[in-house]
Amino acid sequence: MPQYGSGLFVSIAHLIRGLFGGTTVTADVVMTVINSLIIWALIALAALSLILLERKVAGWMQLRTGPNRLGPRGWFQTVADAMKLLGKEDIFPAAADKWVFGLAPMFVIGLSVMVMAVIPYGKGMVPVDLNVGIFYLLAVSALTTIPFFMAGWGSNNKFALLGGMRAVAQMISYEIPLVFSLLGVVMITQTFKMSAIVNAQSHVWFILLQPLGFVVYTIAATAETNRAPFDLVEGESELTAGAFTEYTGMRWALFFLGEYANLFIVSAVAATVFLGGWQGPFLPGWIWFAIKVLFMVFLFLWFRWTFPRLRVDQLMHFGWKVLLPLSVANILLTGVGIYIYQLIYPAIGG
Amino acid sequence: MFGKGLAKGLGITFRHMFDKKITEFYPEDMPTLPPRTRSSLALNTPKCISCGMCSSACPNKVITLTTDKNESNKKFLTSYHMDLTRCLFCGLCTEACPTKALYTTTEFENAVYFREDMQWDMMQRYRDKVASGEIKEEVKPETKQEEAKDNG
Amino acid sequence: MIKTQELEINLGPQHPSTHGVFRMITKLDGETVTSVESKVGYLHRGMEKLAESRTYTQYIPYTDRLDYLASINNNLGYVQTVEKLMGVEVPERAEYLRIIFGELQRLASHMVAIGTGSLDLGGFTPFLYTFRDREKILDLFEMTIGGRMTMNMPRIGGIIEPPEEFWPALNKFLGEMPGSIEEYHGIITGNEIFQARTVGVGIISPELAEQIAVTGPNLRGSGIKWDLRKNAPYGIYDRFDFEVPVGVNGDCFDRYIVRVREMEESIKIIHQAVRDIPEGPTFAKVPKLIKPSVGEVYHRVENPRGELSFYIVSDGSTKPYRLRIRGGTFVNIQVLPYVAPGWKLADVIAILASLDIILPECDR
Ligand code: SF4
Ligand code: SF4
Repeated sequence: MPQYGSGLFVSIAHLIRGLFGGTTVTADVVMTVINSLIIWALIALAALSLILLERKVAGWMQLRTGPNRLGPRGWFQTVADAMKLLGKEDIFPAAADKWVFGLAPMFVIGLSVMVMAVIPYGKGMVPVDLNVGIFYLLAVSALTTIPFFMAGWGSNNKFALLGGMRAVAQMISYEIPLVFSLLGVVMITQTFKMSAIVNAQSHVWFILLQPLGFVVYTIAATAETNRAPFDLVEGESELTAGAFTEYTGMRWALFFLGEYANLFIVSAVAATVFLGGWQGPFLPGWIWFAIKVLFMVFLFLWFRWTFPRLRVDQLMHFGWKVLLPLSVANILLTGVGIYIYQLIYPAIGG
Repeated sequence: MFGKGLAKGLGITFRHMFDKKITEFYPEDMPTLPPRTRSSLALNTPKCISCGMCSSACPNKVITLTTDKNESNKKFLTSYHMDLTRCLFCGLCTEACPTKALYTTTEFENAVYFREDMQWDMMQRYRDKVASGEIKEEVKPETKQEEAKDNG
Repeated sequence: MIKTQELEINLGPQHPSTHGVFRMITKLDGETVTSVESKVGYLHRGMEKLAESRTYTQYIPYTDRLDYLASINNNLGYVQTVEKLMGVEVPERAEYLRIIFGELQRLASHMVAIGTGSLDLGGFTPFLYTFRDREKILDLFEMTIGGRMTMNMPRIGGIIEPPEEFWPALNKFLGEMPGSIEEYHGIITGNEIFQARTVGVGIISPELAEQIAVTGPNLRGSGIKWDLRKNAPYGIYDRFDFEVPVGVNGDCFDRYIVRVREMEESIKIIHQAVRDIPEGPTFAKVPKLIKPSVGEVYHRVENPRGELSFYIVSDGSTKPYRLRIRGGTFVNIQVLPYVAPGWKLADVIAILASLDIILPECDR
């Protein structure tokens, strides 16, 4: 099916490359700089719009209208909030471990940027198309545990410490089902490369082949991003603000930014791996991608504004006793499926 | 089956997304409070017979009034002061008032920046209200309307 | 040298889930609570002492400020105590109105209880749904008396007559209620996460409840059928047909579900009262200046948060010589140190939420 305007950004990239003639090294360097700038802008944009979306959706579900004062229908609210946070005092608690406390928010945001570099935003629009894309993505996003723990430990606050401990326990337990749920897709496509996974879905999205994988992924991803019903790291009803209790101003905003960047990332991965990425009729690929990401984001928002929070031990039980077996079963089923498929059509597949 | 309740909850929140919102757009759409709302107090000075019932009914000594006597030995108000910082808005004073000179109003925007602004000179407030045309000087607006009808 | 140590954390007085200014000094072993020490008194305003310098009528608005989520119930308790002291007979219509408003207030109060219960478990949306419905009740109050939180509605010897438009509005509200309760069941009761967080958590055994003298829905959640409206009827509660719901296990879920079922019963009572209410005056003939003869009186009523009772000593003047208040929360809160240990930190919050405390009544 034709996709109009798909090549828009790709052509722009070609144009820029063209400016440097044949000297590919300069062109590569310039393109890398531009790509990274775009990713930064994307993070800011995604976070600002997702925060607004979150507040709007929350409002609608609660029979409210959400932010409605600043700009048309309140669309500039988050911009104003960000400005306000920039202007706030940056407080270091007297007892805090200065370096650990100060660096934690930067790590969060740095890791998000690293992950966003390998996501295929459209056909030919992968900033860095690694051949171990998914592997890299999971490896880096697993590191997000560390800044949370740094925040919890560095604050030298009991609430924060409990929050940090919870972060470690929770993220490690949910990392495993998350990885396993994606393995099924990798087994089918026989590749780690993100663009290749999208290409493999030109006929059928993997959500149809891997429904269980999708469900496990969605649940594990909710826990990975620390969102309700798994928002124990923050756990405002018992831990006030968990690991972020002592943070103020821009440092706190960076955590917030990181949280929404992570939300965007897990949604983008789900869109890429299970929902066919940029594939879709008529519309340009990147618009399809955006629609799918938004759908996933809405799903996460919807969960958050409907469910209460689990308890820390229940969270662990659920992770290890339900999700992990399910994801392993998924791998087994996929393996059997592939085997049968190969028996029937020996020519195709692995 | 596990998950049935979760799905039901999701359904409820999803339905409400498209419901009519109940947010009040406060400064744009001023709410019309029911007439009995006790959110502010006002004094209709000409009606007051300076009996002091209001001040003695008040549990918190909010009201202080001073009176004087004119030639025909009739009491009249010389000052009527309310310390709103102590008021409970309980309405006991307006209930006690025999002529309903003191009444509750539905004005609810009573917030002020300075503590002194909570000291209300009720007679001055009445004069301000009359000056701004919010209430008529004459006590009974109904009779006035009737008169107007008769004339015109 | 490495050694383990209990972590002592201080929840409150400023904490999102302590419902005001309650303070718990909690000792944690990991996430498990080993001991809870409750500290109250941050909201002490000397309510009992204040009564001694107020006349009997003037004290009514102060009772609003005990359990501010159930101010009409407080007013009623106090007013009935004074009436008992003076031997005043209240007109029929006033009695029925008192029932209607008392039960409406109970509904509003239980809505807050289950809403904040859900909020403390992290479910924000159900909280706003319950507040949406409470808003309708508050609108009814506002229409009748002009207050929303601090009603100051009943008077010694009567109650204020609601305006004409109150009755259709009440009927509309009663018509909407079953749907709303259905919705609470859908989003809170049936939710598996909510059940996982509450079923079997924070069990108050009937023995413990009796020893500490827990009252109200918390007692009934433990399976003891004790409701003053049935067991020692005051006002005209003996004329109404309603159930006293009780729990089975005494856990957080039972305390929650008892409240929801009580809301259904309250609606039943209001329906009966609206059906039976006679015409007539709403004020008895009482002197303007209330001056009971020398004596003392004790009276208790069933408030949404347990028994509220007043003990008044009169020296024959216009002001009480001594007034003593027994509030439900102050007693109910005492079970916390017995129930909380052994549960996780998040469970303590759930237990506290299920006890439905209100601090102004506790600290007075
Ligand atoms: S409303 Fe109550 S507290 Fe205020 S002046 Fe009147 S009687 Fe006094
Ligand atoms: S009770 Fe009424 S008439 Fe008497 S002094 Fe007060 S305001 Fe005036």
